[in-house]
Amino acid sequence: MAAEKSSIITLQSNDGVSIDVDRQVAERSMLIKNMMEDLGDEAISTAVPIPNVNESVLKKVIEWCEHHKNDPQPAQDDDSDSRKKTTDIEEWDQKFMQVDQEMLFEIILASNYLDIKPLLDVGCKTVANMIKGKSPEEIRKTFNITNDFTPEEEEQIRRENEWAEDR
Amino acid sequence: MSVATRTVLMPPVPNREDIDATWKYLEAGISKIMINLQEGIDMQTYMGVYTAVHNFCTSHKAVSNTSHGSIGSTHRGAHLLGEDLYQNLMTYLSNYLKGLVEISKTHTDEALLTFYIREWDRYTTAAKYINHLFRYLNRHWVKRELDEGKKNIYDVYTLHLVQWRTTLFSEVHEKVMDAVLKMVEKQRHGETIEHGQIKSIVNSFVSLGLDEADPTKSTLDVYRFNFERPFLEATKLFYQAESKEFVAENSIVEYMKKAEIRLDEEEERVAMYLHPDIILPLRKTCNNALISDHSLILRDEFQVLLDNDRYEDMQRMYNLLSRIPDGLEPLRAKFEAHVRKAGLAAVAKVAVDADKLEPKVYVDALLEIHTQYQGLVKQAFKDEPEFTRSLDNACREFVNRNQICKSGSNKSPELLAKYADTLLKKSASGAEENDLEATLVQIMTVFKYIEDKDVFQKFYSRMLARRLVHTSSSSDDAETSMISKLKEACGYEYTNKLQRMFQDMQISKDLNSGFKEFEAGLIEPEDAKPVDASYAILGTGFWPLNPPNTDFTPPAEISKAYGRFQTFYGQKHSGRKLTWLWQLCKGEVKANYCKNTKTPYTFQVSTYQMAILLLFNESDKNSYDDIKKATQLQADVLDPALGIFVKAKVLLSNPDGEKPGPGNMYHLNYDFKSKKIRVNLNIPVKSEQKQEVDETHKTIEEDRKLLMQSAIVRIMKARKKMKHTQLVSECINQIRTRFVPKIPDIKKCIDILLEKEYLERLEDDELGYLA
Repeated sequence: MAAEKSSIITLQSNDGVSIDVDRQVAERSMLIKNMMEDLGDEAISTAVPIPNVNESVLKKVIEWCEHHKNDPQPAQDDDSDSRKKTTDIEEWDQKFMQVDQEMLFEIILASNYLDIKPLLDVGCKTVANMIKGKSPEEIRKTFNITNDFTPEEEEQIRRENEWAEDR
Repeated sequence: MSVATRTVLMPPVPNREDIDATWKYLEAGISKIMINLQEGIDMQTYMGVYTAVHNFCTSHKAVSNTSHGSIGSTHRGAHLLGEDLYQNLMTYLSNYLKGLVEISKTHTDEALLTFYIREWDRYTTAAKYINHLFRYLNRHWVKRELDEGKKNIYDVYTLHLVQWRTTLFSEVHEKVMDAVLKMVEKQRHGETIEHGQIKSIVNSFVSLGLDEADPTKSTLDVYRFNFERPFLEATKLFYQAESKEFVAENSIVEYMKKAEIRLDEEEERVAMYLHPDIILPLRKTCNNALISDHSLILRDEFQVLLDNDRYEDMQRMYNLLSRIPDGLEPLRAKFEAHVRKAGLAAVAKVAVDADKLEPKVYVDALLEIHTQYQGLVKQAFKDEPEFTRSLDNACREFVNRNQICKSGSNKSPELLAKYADTLLKKSASGAEENDLEATLVQIMTVFKYIEDKDVFQKFYSRMLARRLVHTSSSSDDAETSMISKLKEACGYEYTNKLQRMFQDMQISKDLNSGFKEFEAGLIEPEDAKPVDASYAILGTGFWPLNPPNTDFTPPAEISKAYGRFQTFYGQKHSGRKLTWLWQLCKGEVKANYCKNTKTPYTFQVSTYQMAILLLFNESDKNSYDDIKKATQLQADVLDPALGIFVKAKVLLSNPDGEKPGPGNMYHLNYDFKSKKIRVNLNIPVKSEQKQEVDETHKTIEEDRKLLMQSAIVRIMKARKKMKHTQLVSECINQIRTRFVPKIPDIKKCIDILLEKEYLERLEDDELGYLA
């Protein structure tokens, strides 16, 4: 496999830090994978700017990619039910996601930007698990949301969503 | 993972909320890709464009919320941004392509093709890049639009193709096709062309086929309508014109060669640069123009080819006409008629002296035609089953109905059986075993076509009986081989009797050795040496033999011996009645009286003749009436027997030269002379043979009646009730393997059965079975 030859790519975060990564690891990102395809091997002689991600988040994302580098590539349009429905997260990923909320959201945004679907899934599932089983008030508390509904608005929303109440 | 120092400046990404600024930024990047891709695109631009797309799509107009990363403050996902980008991209592509259309107008023919291909390659490569750069748009906004079932929204790559098709393709495709067709025509005229260009055009046209219902799938519609259709039309016109001209100036054979070459060329053309999908319609078009349009003159030529044995050209014609629907049927009809005519002519040639026709000559004449045309079917018509059927039909026709074997005559099966007889009979020129087997196979070839198989059976069994009784078979192996062949062709029932005859002969051999022992124990030493005889027990039902039609008193010399055998057989199988078939018996007598030779002559004689000769042991002369009285033989048997003796000068007749009859005196000729020591006097008489043939024919008619009646009874027993016409056709079906029954004959048989009350008439033309 070409990936075994583990050429190195330099990624540069938006705060100007360059990080060297195995090409195989970096190509978990569809953005980078497509770019490599389009620009060819000579292009990686210069660092790849990642304008939307700072160093700490980029490192975190690379850590995840490093661990998952040998996972099979997800199919182009993997909308299978198993991916959508389950909120199961494998153990390593659960530990990996034990970060503060700020970092969690940054990881989600970065994986969305870098087009790393499995990581985006893990991030979103983590958030979903945080919401699961909580009352609106508890959810507001969890994510530090101020309630900007008027009591009338809130009543209307409750009525509209009555069918979904867990009774 | 390692941390490197900062080396590259970030590209200036525009404000995410500013569509104009964003688009301006993107347009610069896209143009670079679209127009100057060969110069390469730098990483900054690549990442910049991607990021700009991403940022625009993730921006939100509610600028007040700046607390980045807090989910509650944004409504991301509720409405996705991107439509502006999509619309702008579409407009950009449309404008870009309109520019290309203008430029294309300055090119024609091959230059236009070069231009089209160059621009297509450039455009599709760029489309791949742009698709990657706009991946974020694809993943979210486009996906959402598609999920919601919006029409006319495509992923970015497909959008490129759609724009190409609507803006550029619609304007230039006709001119492009004209150029393509001109090139193809050049090639058809033998020029060398750069066919890679056409292949590129085909690929481009195919790529533009998008399934409107499901943009992820592609169809060949665009290609079919814009490429295939005009291509086929041009092909049709080209070959219509060419073939018309060629046929007018050249022979049909030349034309077939030309057409073959052209058809091969078109196949190659497909492999070389066309889409494989075109192969069937292209074949059809070529077949129509090159073959169907000329099928009439081709077929007319077929007779000429047949008459001149032009195998190769017939093969050519077969190959051509097999390509069009129903192309071969008229050939088959002509072929069948031709073979029949050839068969009839071959028979007519040998039929000059019909009465003396040798069976071999006749059968060989039939076989020669069959072999010749079977070879033709194999070589020219690929052994095609339909042609084989035509051959079979023709052969069946001329084997059963020709100048020798006129309708209603049974000459063919009779001659065939006779030919088999001459082959299987001992003869001086004994054929090699292998040759014999091969010839028997040939006989079976003709046999297959014989309609009156029952006639063959009759004659064959008669002649087999004669061969067995006279032990004149050349080889048991050949006999068994022939019987098993017949069995294979017609079934067990057909050869049952033949096999039983064969078995009888085997059993008789054992019986004879048993009798020898029995006889040895019986004879007293002072008795005269018994007649050395062998006996054959022939089952009455299986052998086509009749009891003698004359009285006969066997001479004393042999009556003792046959009496002993009768006793012996009676002990072994009590209750069986033996009928002596004297007319088939024969023996040898030694003539010790002749003066002219030291070694006595041996006369081979029939038993009747033996009885006559033995009378001369008592007295040198006997009168006709004495002989008749002593032997009890009737005149029609006695006269010819005596006649042979007189002719051979064994006996001298007085008065000389008269036909045997009452009043004649016969003297033993002491001066008898012969070149051979063994003299065969047991010569069948012509009239006897003729009589036998007539008899055989008569029994055939009777057997047929029985066969038809038993078939009718069988059918009615199974069906109980049946319409008259149905019964007749069913009856024909059952009997057809033996002979072809005539309908009036069947009706007659039904009437007989009605009379005998096996059947009854019911209402409505129905017949009922009476148990």
